[in-house]
Amino acid sequence: MPTEAQCRDTGGIIVAAIFIFIGVLALWDTFDYTDADSFVFPRTVAGAMIVFCIALIAWSLVRPIDAATRGAESTPRRVGLVAAMLVAALLMPYAGFLLSGLLAFAAIVWLAMYDPWTRRRLIVYPLVGSAIVLGFYFLFTRVLLVPLPIGRLFIG
Amino acid sequence: MLTFKRLILAPLCAVLLMLSAGAIAEYPEKPISYVIPFGPGGESDITARHQQPFFKNKFGQDLVISYKPGGGGAVGWAQLNEMPGDGYNIMGVNLPHIIVKPLQKDVGFKTSDLALIYMFHYTPDAVVVKADSQFKTLKDMIDYAKKNPGKLTFSGSGKGTANHLAQVTFDKLAGIKTTYVAFKGTGASVTALLGKQVGAQWGYTSVGAKHSDKVRLLAVAMEQRHPRFPDVPTFKELGFDIVSGAYRGIAMPSSTPEEVRVKLSAMIGRINADGEFKKRMENDGFALVDVDYKGMKAFMDEKKAGYAAAAKEAGVIK
Amino acid sequence: MDSLAYLLAALTPYHIALAIGGVVAGTVVGSLPGLTATMAVAVLIPITFSMEPASALILMGAIYTGAIYGGAYAAILLNTPGTPSAIATTFDGYPMAKRGDGDLAITLACIASVCGGLVGALFLLFLAPPLANVALAFGPVEYFWLAILGLTLISALSQGNLLKGLIGACFGLLLSCIGVAEISADVRLTFGSHTLLGGIEVVSALIGLYCIPVLIDLVATPDRHLEVEDVSRGFRLREALGISWRSKFNLARSSVLGTLVGILPGAGGSIAGLVAYSEARRASKQQRHFGHGAPEGVQATESANNATVGGGFIPTLVLGIPGTPPDAVILGALLIQGVRTGPNLFTEHGSIVYVFIWGLLIATVLMLPTGLFIGRYAYRFIVTVPKALLVPTVAFMTLIGTYAIRNSVSDVVIMIVLGVVGWILGRLGFSASPIVLGLILGSIAEQGFVQGWIIGAAADNLWGEFFGRPIAMAIFAFILLSLFSPLLLSRFRVKREIAGAD
Repeated sequence: MPTEAQCRDTGGIIVAAIFIFIGVLALWDTFDYTDADSFVFPRTVAGAMIVFCIALIAWSLVRPIDAATRGAESTPRRVGLVAAMLVAALLMPYAGFLLSGLLAFAAIVWLAMYDPWTRRRLIVYPLVGSAIVLGFYFLFTRVLLVPLPIGRLFIG
Repeated sequence: MLTFKRLILAPLCAVLLMLSAGAIAEYPEKPISYVIPFGPGGESDITARHQQPFFKNKFGQDLVISYKPGGGGAVGWAQLNEMPGDGYNIMGVNLPHIIVKPLQKDVGFKTSDLALIYMFHYTPDAVVVKADSQFKTLKDMIDYAKKNPGKLTFSGSGKGTANHLAQVTFDKLAGIKTTYVAFKGTGASVTALLGKQVGAQWGYTSVGAKHSDKVRLLAVAMEQRHPRFPDVPTFKELGFDIVSGAYRGIAMPSSTPEEVRVKLSAMIGRINADGEFKKRMENDGFALVDVDYKGMKAFMDEKKAGYAAAAKEAGVIK
Repeated sequence: MDSLAYLLAALTPYHIALAIGGVVAGTVVGSLPGLTATMAVAVLIPITFSMEPASALILMGAIYTGAIYGGAYAAILLNTPGTPSAIATTFDGYPMAKRGDGDLAITLACIASVCGGLVGALFLLFLAPPLANVALAFGPVEYFWLAILGLTLISALSQGNLLKGLIGACFGLLLSCIGVAEISADVRLTFGSHTLLGGIEVVSALIGLYCIPVLIDLVATPDRHLEVEDVSRGFRLREALGISWRSKFNLARSSVLGTLVGILPGAGGSIAGLVAYSEARRASKQQRHFGHGAPEGVQATESANNATVGGGFIPTLVLGIPGTPPDAVILGALLIQGVRTGPNLFTEHGSIVYVFIWGLLIATVLMLPTGLFIGRYAYRFIVTVPKALLVPTVAFMTLIGTYAIRNSVSDVVIMIVLGVVGWILGRLGFSASPIVLGLILGSIAEQGFVQGWIIGAAADNLWGEFFGRPIAMAIFAFILLSLFSPLLLSRFRVKREIAGAD
């Protein structure tokens, strides 16, 4: 039985299993290539990965690892951050870069806020945030000439 | 999905067109974004950079060059038609890439999806050897290859490319067997030649121009000799029917109105007609061609058939 | 004296202004993840059309060298290499910042960058024509072995569990295969997805794997991002100079290695940094400190990657073969100006080449004050800005930076997904660095192997191709050394301790 200080590396085993699956998927894909030059490398690497994963699973079944102790952490905020960024990325072609960037920025300010919202912060943060987003937007579009998406909503 | 998009987009574009009909009369009235679907520093980049100052001079607006590399150009071409068709988005296209790639697999675009406007130059294939090579003429090389089948190695840029297809065609015509080693671009393939990693290179005339002190061209795949290399024979003169190379041109999103396409085609043609532009391009080993919007279909039909056959022969398509 | 005249020509106020402006702009560009030196130089090309070739070169060279240094800021303060060259800077720079020595790390990086930059430029000044041959001596097989040498770093980076490191590296190598293959043009591992056709872009993968996990953890707790004892501690220049003096051999070795790797057209700053890091670690008496905030690690990487600037110009100017991607852009700009590269450039167009090299040296020296100054602001910003503004700012930078690499929304999505994968794997003991190593070295290893195999097979001498070439064998010897020296050393030490018994 795993004790509190030591436990089986279940996470490692699951990841290894997933990587075996990925390796098999990759091997299967290599049989579809037209050129002999293109499958040697991925096939070798996928094979090696599967072998290493099997070794890791075997090793983990024998050897326990130290259990990690973690402090109080907020999972909802983590998920929120990733979601905000993904939504911004997917929204870009439609809403344009500026709008989706501003929305993501606002959402993440809210997610990363641990201090109380004072009146000063309510005024300063949105201002600073808009300035940063607009500043970068102009730096990229005007100086570096990057064609950031304008958004189909605005150009019809 | 696509038809749905078109259903919505077509009337919208029509409305926009009517609104901006006056503006188009003065096209271009703002900088034009010119996307190169390759990384910077390659030949597609350099030839676009050659056009840049002439465009500004003649039409008063900037060509703003940006890069969208990936998938040997496929990433850019697959997204071309999603760009706004307002005339201010253009993209470089390369032959044989846009013909061979979609034939290999689904790469997100078909040759017929691309609204080709103008083919403005081509880089003729050439057999290149180091200046101190034992091969003085193409015949020396063929003799050696006949005696040592498979031993002679050629570096070249990629597979399914102009270099690769030329190698396969030439091997067949000359009745020899050589080994083709693909590198990730002309730069890497020249480096391999100069470092004597390979015996010779299937390169371009531009290689001869850029490294004129270190390499020798044995033959060029052109109808007539290249003005920069009057002493180098063409394959035709030597009895091999090879006229090939990488063509480069410009395409626009398929939503671009006909009127703008014709206009841009004429503009690129005017740059090509400039004596100074021609001189600079030829000095770098390129050869100008003029396939305008009207002549594009006939040109592409001919090339499609030719490249498809060669690619099948080379084994890059099934 | 000729060289004095060239130096004076480089010292005009106009050229000094170009050098300062270039270094400052380059540092800022380099510090933003996603903006690379290549891109900054490419944007500038139209401006340089109207300049003299030497002035244009000075401006582009200054931007380039500044950008390579600027990459260290994000690497140290955010665990995100601002440019790929700074990957190995994260290994020790971020742990240093975590324990409150971020300011020291930045000053050390600045000194190391200036050292490396000077060494690279001096090699360019005095030894360019003979050294250019190094670029040609490296064939496919040598690149293959160089990539394998880079991969031996896995053992150092896998933090305890070698198997997990190896699995991560294999995963990275597979990631490098995704998309249309660079040489064979086959479509690989996309499983029909158009998003993956263009492959995993290295810079966006770096941002995802390194920066997103930091953000995910930042947002989860109210703790400060970095430890700070006293913000107004100054540059800590005296302390940094002392450390730099003590590791002068490390700086010299890394700078020379960086120059040599810079000369190789298929390698570049990221490989130079990794090779120098691995050699610094191998030569160090305190290997255990590497990866946990060893200043030597930062110094090795930063001196090596700035040395690639001068090194990369060697084949570019002598052979017309670009040493690194920014060199390719610069070469293109020169071609359009009608300047023909080649050995003649040095003899007949000395006024271009030597004025430029002196200009590059001046720009590198100017990087010391400007770099310290900008570094100070970057550090202050990161440590003083409230978390609720820091996290969204960095997150926004990753979005805009990733998009800008090749104007692609797909890259942004891939970046975020890789970030989440990297975070989960990191929690389970699979660190991100082996994956990144695999991703960067994958295409070099694969191309070198396939090309070497074809050439060897054509000559009926596969064994001789892979194991019979002198340079390849030298690299192979280093591979064996890195793999087995820790074992031998520890055994040696045990023996000595028994014998010494003090």
